Amino acid sequence: MSGLEHITPGILVILAIAGILLYRELKRVQGGYHHFIRRIPGVDAVEGAVGRCAELGRPVVFTTALTDIGPVLYACLGVLHAVARKVAQYKLKLIVPQYSPEAMALVEDTVREAYRDVGRSSSFDPDGIKFLSNEQFAFASGYMGLMHREKAGAAFMFGSFAAEALVLAEAGQQVGARQVAASVSPEQVAFFICTCDYTLIGEELFGASAYLSREPVQVATLASQDRLKLIFVGLIVVGVVCATLQSWYPGLASCMPHTLLSADWSSLGW
Amino acid sequence: MVTNNATDTRTKLIRIFTFLGGIYFFLYFVLPESAVISLGMKAHHEEISNGFIVIGAMALGLGLYNIIRAHGARVVFQRAGWFNSLALLVGLVAMIGATSAQWLENIRNTKDIRSVQIVGEFATRIVEDVRTPPVGRLVPPFRERVSALIRYGDDRASLVEAHTNLSVEAGTNGGTSILVVEVRERIATARAKLEELKGVSWQQPTEENVGRLTQFSQDVAKLASSYSLMKRSHDAHGLSQRLYDFLFDGLFNQLGSAMFALLGVYIGAAAYRAFRVRTIESGLMMVAAVIVMLGQISFGKEIYENMPSIRQWLLEVPNSAAFRAIRLGAGVAGLMLAIRMWLSIESKSFSSGRK
Repeated sequence: MSGLEHITPGILVILAIAGILLYRELKRVQGGYHHFIRRIPGVDAVEGAVGRCAELGRPVVFTTALTDIGPVLYACLGVLHAVARKVAQYKLKLIVPQYSPEAMALVEDTVREAYRDVGRSSSFDPDGIKFLSNEQFAFASGYMGLMHREKAGAAFMFGSFAAEALVLAEAGQQVGARQVAASVSPEQVAFFICTCDYTLIGEELFGASAYLSREPVQVATLASQDRLKLIFVGLIVVGVVCATLQSWYPGLASCMPHTLLSADWSSLGW
Repeated sequence: MVTNNATDTRTKLIRIFTFLGGIYFFLYFVLPESAVISLGMKAHHEEISNGFIVIGAMALGLGLYNIIRAHGARVVFQRAGWFNSLALLVGLVAMIGATSAQWLENIRNTKDIRSVQIVGEFATRIVEDVRTPPVGRLVPPFRERVSALIRYGDDRASLVEAHTNLSVEAGTNGGTSILVVEVRERIATARAKLEELKGVSWQQPTEENVGRLTQFSQDVAKLASSYSLMKRSHDAHGLSQRLYDFLFDGLFNQLGSAMFALLGVYIGAAAYRAFRVRTIESGLMMVAAVIVMLGQISFGKEIYENMPSIRQWLLEVPNSAAFRAIRLGAGVAGLMLAIRMWLSIESKSFSSGRK
């Protein structure tokens, strides 16, 4: 059996550590511990971008593009919630073009909750959540048309993107929208940097909603992921040192971290 | 109050199902294969996975209903942009129509081809039953079976002939293509064999008679194979296939390609903005981009011999390091969020706002 279907004991230990870290941080923040979150200029720009729309009287567009249901979408929904709250407060029009029909229900619910949170449930317009297409370039084409028709004042592009990223961002540029993008797809980050006013890179997308909301659960998640990342950095350093040692002393191969992490269950007699 | 209780129950149900769905895949993933087999999970894994796919497929019907309802209403009441909705609905109906016609034609063809194959299989079965008489199974007398075979064989040969003539008339196989010639030759062979079978006395299953049936079975198998190829070729030029090709390959894919082609123009516009050197960082980016571009073309090597090596180093070392850092960070963050989602440890944004 290949390692694709069943994880190794080493990875199981790391998963357990992840769970423990999350539990510990949740307990800490529930106990009133305050975590410092560094400033993210792109996230700070969210309020400014929405404010600009209020001044210009133009709508706000938020898209999760090709993001399907999963952790990335949930991270995006946190930001969407914050943006929708601001939009509701300023009595602006919010348009959320959709690619995934499954994600659409979650998106609609999130926006409705945000309007309800600020006491403007009656202002919520379900027609603002528009399903365009679940075909990549048909979606891009629909998004372009929408940006030109609506003359959006701000565009937020959060989630997973592929080749359509530049088409979407250029459409925003053409109508003079202030654009904030966040992507976990490294290949598309360069395009966003070229075309958007602010770009959040990789994990900053996951930190954005905690930064905006300061909610204990989200902050605890952010803190625990940082600690887990520190462990990974430590493992990388140990791995580099061990690999160097192994090149000098080949007999050390069996106790190397990568050997231990990739050892499967059969080595434990399972 | 009643609404609040109903909402709470719904929330609890969602959490329970999320947890149960998650724990199955979690256990399947973390347990060693031996444990998965001994718990009986391996034996039912495919069915369970298919079950999840089926639930997902139900969304298709829901989506179709939603599209018809939303866009149908817009067309009926002639709301703003109703003609776009009409185009969408016409496209939807045309695509469903073309795909359904193609599907029905495939079913009909498979049935026709199978009906020819069965003639050969029937002959083989008669031969097998003569050589090894069936135990515990009643079969009609040898003579009656052969007589039925000849009648059915005649009927199928006429059907294949008729379809071949239709194919020639429609010109879908280029008039008399090699496939049509081959099918006609094989029909002639099968017909000749049928005539031969008709002139023989089938009172007793002699070795000579059995040999004739075996030969007939082989000829029919060859005819069925050629007929199948001719049918497929005919279908590829049929109306439903042409309509499908026009809608999917001719229209849908081409529109997608046109959108993709826009990228070329946009990359130029984006590059212009990116290459305006305003800061040290953008200057560095421009230098790296110029080196990579020059390293990619032969002219770069003319300027400086090691240009391709520098380009390769830039892509493989600093670029890969940055990519890996982004992927590691996003992966860890995604893992933490996935654990939180699975255990329904939800933030206020997604849960308590309801209460």
